[in-house]
Amino acid sequence: MPVVSISLDTLLSRIKTEIPREDLAKKLRQLGCDVEGYATVKRFKCSSCDNIMEITETENPPVVCDQCGADYKENPDHLVFLNDHSVIRMELLAVRPDMFDPGGLARTLRGYLGEETHSGYELHSGPYTITVDPALSQKENYRPNIACAIIRNMSFTEDTLRAIMKLQENLHWALGRDRKRASIGVYDLTKLEGTDFQYRAVSNDEIRFTPLGYDLNKESDKLSPKEILERHPKGVQYKRLLEEFPKFPFLTDSKGTVLSMPPIINGEHSRVTPNSRDLFVDVTGTDERLVNKTLNVFVTSVSELAAGVTIEQVEIRYPDNQVSTPDFTPQRVNVSPSHAERVLGIELDKLKIKDFLERMGHQIEDNDSDELSVLVPPYRNDILHPIDLVEDVAIAYGYHNFPLTLVPTHTVGKQLKDQELFDLCRNSLTGLGLFEVLTLILSSEEAQYDKLQLPRDDDHIIIDNPISVEQTMIRRRLLPGLLDTFAANADQELPQQIFEVGYVSQLNKEQETGSIELSRLASAIIGPKVDYSGIRSICEALLREFGGTIKTIPTENPAFIPGRVAMIHAVINDKEIVMGIMGEVHPQVLENFKLVYPVSTFEIQLGPLINHTN
Amino acid sequence: MGNKQLVPEMDFQVLTQLQKTEGLISIPDLAEKAKVDQSKASAVCLFRADLGEIEVQETSESEWKLGKKAKALPGKSLPERDIIEALNKMGGNAEIPQVAESTGLENKVIGQSLRWLEEKKWALKDGKTLKLLPDGQNALSNEYDDEKLIKYLIENGNATSADLEAKGINIKAACDLLNGRNFLEEKSRKTRMVCLTPKGRELVDQGLEVRQELNQLTTEMLRSGEWRNATFRPYDVTVPGDPVYSGKDHPLVSIFDQTRRVFVELGFEETESPFVESSFWDFDALFQPQDHPARDMQDTFYIERPNICRLPNDELVDNIGRVHENGGDTGSIGWRYLWNKEQAQKPVLRTHTTAASVRALASDPKPPRKVFCIGPVFRRETVDYKHLPVFHQVEGIIVDEKATFANLLGVLSVFYKKMGFDRFDFRPAFFPYTEPSVEIFVWSEKKKDWIEMGGAGIFRPEVTEPLGCTTPVLAWGLGLERLAMFRYELANITHLYRARINWLKETPLCR
Repeated sequence: MPVVSISLDTLLSRIKTEIPREDLAKKLRQLGCDVEGYATVKRFKCSSCDNIMEITETENPPVVCDQCGADYKENPDHLVFLNDHSVIRMELLAVRPDMFDPGGLARTLRGYLGEETHSGYELHSGPYTITVDPALSQKENYRPNIACAIIRNMSFTEDTLRAIMKLQENLHWALGRDRKRASIGVYDLTKLEGTDFQYRAVSNDEIRFTPLGYDLNKESDKLSPKEILERHPKGVQYKRLLEEFPKFPFLTDSKGTVLSMPPIINGEHSRVTPNSRDLFVDVTGTDERLVNKTLNVFVTSVSELAAGVTIEQVEIRYPDNQVSTPDFTPQRVNVSPSHAERVLGIELDKLKIKDFLERMGHQIEDNDSDELSVLVPPYRNDILHPIDLVEDVAIAYGYHNFPLTLVPTHTVGKQLKDQELFDLCRNSLTGLGLFEVLTLILSSEEAQYDKLQLPRDDDHIIIDNPISVEQTMIRRRLLPGLLDTFAANADQELPQQIFEVGYVSQLNKEQETGSIELSRLASAIIGPKVDYSGIRSICEALLREFGGTIKTIPTENPAFIPGRVAMIHAVINDKEIVMGIMGEVHPQVLENFKLVYPVSTFEIQLGPLINHTN
Repeated sequence: MGNKQLVPEMDFQVLTQLQKTEGLISIPDLAEKAKVDQSKASAVCLFRADLGEIEVQETSESEWKLGKKAKALPGKSLPERDIIEALNKMGGNAEIPQVAESTGLENKVIGQSLRWLEEKKWALKDGKTLKLLPDGQNALSNEYDDEKLIKYLIENGNATSADLEAKGINIKAACDLLNGRNFLEEKSRKTRMVCLTPKGRELVDQGLEVRQELNQLTTEMLRSGEWRNATFRPYDVTVPGDPVYSGKDHPLVSIFDQTRRVFVELGFEETESPFVESSFWDFDALFQPQDHPARDMQDTFYIERPNICRLPNDELVDNIGRVHENGGDTGSIGWRYLWNKEQAQKPVLRTHTTAASVRALASDPKPPRKVFCIGPVFRRETVDYKHLPVFHQVEGIIVDEKATFANLLGVLSVFYKKMGFDRFDFRPAFFPYTEPSVEIFVWSEKKKDWIEMGGAGIFRPEVTEPLGCTTPVLAWGLGLERLAMFRYELANITHLYRARINWLKETPLCR
């Protein structure tokens, strides 16, 4: 999860209650924020695009602008140090994007602390329209949805500018899935002509424009969409989102000037500066509800950050219908007090729940029914079901205030039969002075086959996207793990006697998942005088505990010294069961595992013993 | 003349040797001269000291060894000496890379020596150049105490103050110069010096005679009764024994066992589920949308072989699909996308034991049930001190008409109390399949911070209802390696899986 730095000044100036630092962190944690702690960050400004960047004490100053891609190694003057800033650092909770910025977070805190009950945001109507090109909703083009808003009377401070930029970036991550499902653009409205804007699909040769951070006066800085994807750092970064489509989505004003090429980059022409007062905001994406929610979160947080702004709706003209955005129509959800009481196990009534939900920013409609009619604020994206509001009740009540009780119903406890078997094995072997080890279930063909001089077979499970060459499959046997353990203990006293009880996996077509886990036990000894007879005694001692004896049948196996390897058969209640293999490890194998003392070992399956535990 | 005193053979040897010794002698020297074992000589001396016959003086003596950094020195001299010699050869001035080449010293070592060259006024760095100074010129024909000491140690391994005095090395001067450079390690060694007291000397002068003593009681002596005439030589019972270690369960396995015991005590039945799991049970049945980041190739291991899983009955599959698309009959609005059956068939390495819980629930949704599972889960994490691609969880569910969120917090607190924690914190959290959701933290006194241990919640109706379960289901998944790292104070998680034998031997069974 990304970590966000919330400016303490910005946050606290929006809360009336005086909260000491420790209490603030505690309150935020009680609300579900993953607070890492307090820190001081250094703020820098990119003089080429006015982007504001922050670094923590342990980070190095940026080398490129994360917005316009300016290279500070080439042009060190473009990076301007602003100041040190006190922040509270938190991991983002992806489902609550309305708490990503100091404005939205302060709104949540004010409610939680009982300072205010939220009364909604005012929306104004306005003249602006966006006409959506039908080509964008066709399958081969891909970004059919758009929602827009006008924000007026903005007065940026360095703080709000930073907070808004960061919010935009974090919304791209949380709701936009890295701009794929939704991406946001913000523009200076006064630089845009007319009121009838276009959201259209454009082919490569139809358009050239100056992307953010490039020189408007230079003809050579005007790029075609393909050039953007190939040359502009942001184009290269997000190329994959547009590559497979024949045309490119573009947002243009009445005169055809480019606002942006979503979801890649804005145009330089309508770039937002600290002096911009009126803003045009768009969110484009692949899902109408999500695009609307993203816009709602963004504009309401901006309203919280910059006092005195007004929000104006834009009419979206789809080929077959028209809508006005932002759409703040609240989601209406009914909550039953008795249901909430039953789920949470605390005493509640309609009045208490009303208070708790109001503290969480919801509005409650008056009614005479037993249920509460809850109006969910437009910036909440996580209410899918009434149960989600029950959680809000629990949070407002405070997890720390819950009684710790147990379910009154009695049930009978029982461990798996496998575990009884494993326990028996462990008792036997530790009683002989052996040490239990655990080794990783993930292994490689090299360790499982090649190093043991065994041919690779085709009954093991192969990982499609391994994270390292040492972990490409699920193990088929335990022995390589034991040999690795010896290798890691080459400096330790000899002899060493170890064992492992665990699962190996094998393909199995009968199974629903195509594979099966088998329980195994392997033991090995390393030391100057280690031989076959020593390990055989251990194996016999183990099987004696199951009321059996062992029969050994000479065999051949490339992992072992010829003539010193045998199949183990157990004879239990006159039944003979094939259990596994035992022997002295082949010197080539020892060399492969970088071992310089002899090793003897046995490995058996435990499945057949399962019915021989008490 | 009185009667000769009867003493055990060992005492005879030691006392006779002491009789011949003028003044104090160390126990090792005494043992060597008396040709007896050192521990036995020590035992005799301590025993006789109690009788007032031998005087024991404990002295501590300094001993020097080469420190960490000295082991990296190429020659028998200090780096600054190598440097001035090189400078001298190159005419007094040279650039640092040239010096490095000529001396064979690493750049780092040269860098660290600059301070000493300057302090000793041997050479000075001017820009990139090192210049030999007059004092350095003089030093070429002299050898100083610090250098003598290092040279002595390189040749002899260690030195006591007596050794150094014998060589005429001024210890204080040498140490002052070497202090803080990690070239030297000083240890103080305790020595016991002994001599006869007047009482002891009187005894010895009277004459001693060896009394036959026995080491080992034998079966012959017991059978014949001869033991009645024997005396047994006393041992120094304070001498430590040779270490032996009991064979042991792996410490992490002890945690699994303890965890299992706690849940069985609480009335839970243990279950299991396959390591290779269908996306259906690992994600879809848990209402994780198919484009959820946790399902990315980035975070989850997908399987090349086998490449497909069978899905359960059509009705269940259909129910799950609808819940994703529009909430189905659960009263939810769902995730609102087109659910894809093929994607649900993709096998993964199970990312959480919650897959076991949801399977257990689907196989028998009737309350009351309490089920738990302990087992490995797989996440696509790069190995570092905190992360492994495999770790273990304990997962549990309570299916009960009367189960509440308060019960969930209650059972979690009982578990952590039984595992030895007394301070825990519950905080709101988010998981796609539970609501309300909670994260559990325990207090680390050592770190003075809360440590996250796992997540829990009540399964969402979108999870339970398609499985035919209409009762509340409390669920949790808690990391067990974290508990082990906490309990055994491990700094690195890989210690659990590539265990050092001495750690296994020495880790107490009891926490």
